[in-house]
Amino acid sequence: MTTMTAQATQVYQLFIKATPEQIWEALTKPEFTERYFHGSQIEITAERRRSLGPDGSVRGDSPTYEYDPPRRLVHGWRSLYDPELAEEPESRVTWEIEPQEGGYCKLTVVHDRLEDSPKTAEGVSGAGWMMVLSGLKTLLETGQPLAETGKEA
Amino acid sequence: MSDDDRVFKALADPTRRHLLDRLFERDGRTLTELESELEMTRFGVMKHLRVLEEAGIVVTRRQGREKHHYLNPVPIRLIHDRWIDKYAEPRVSALAELKTRLEETG
Repeated sequence: MTTMTAQATQVYQLFIKATPEQIWEALTKPEFTERYFHGSQIEITAERRRSLGPDGSVRGDSPTYEYDPPRRLVHGWRSLYDPELAEEPESRVTWEIEPQEGGYCKLTVVHDRLEDSPKTAEGVSGAGWMMVLSGLKTLLETGQPLAETGKEA
Repeated sequence: MSDDDRVFKALADPTRRHLLDRLFERDGRTLTELESELEMTRFGVMKHLRVLEEAGIVVTRRQGREKHHYLNPVPIRLIHDRWIDKYAEPRVSALAELKTRLEETG
């Protein structure tokens, strides 16, 4: 097994059979996010991104830097659900939605500025973002959340 | 060709798997960096990167004049969920458990 340090810039891309508006809604409205984002109720406005756990605890509260529905969204990221991660400096998440042929959209997620937040980088890398994104895809394409997404990772 | 076909085709070549391993170690490399580690022409490396890009396993982002290559693990994950997990997981974990037990007692 190759060992690695989690990357300071992480890129994830996938195709989802949905309209840009549907994807935008699923990213920014808590009634959707709680079905694929580890049960978190996430609300993103032009000003802030707030994330609450099912128990009402604050999992994230960061500024929104770009808010261009339904194409581009940039917000800060601090993992407040874990004290060790919460101490690390804020990183940044960029969402890009590009319509494709055949009713698909290309969704690109870039989590960067993780140079000084190695624990956060490790926590979100690989299975972390992947679980969220495959859950989002399944929810939008079938209307059903993935079986595992209800529980906390 | 379906998405799955493109991913399998992209993975079915030792040079392309080598490029993926290089990106796994450190992401965001330029063509020049990737090329310097391979006994291959720039054109050859570009051709392989294009196949990886078409399969969605490699995503490029421009930064100024430079084009950086990033490993996108999502398509491989989807292949894993669809084609590997289903067939291998229960048996593999049973065998792994057996191995652990035998080695503990032995």
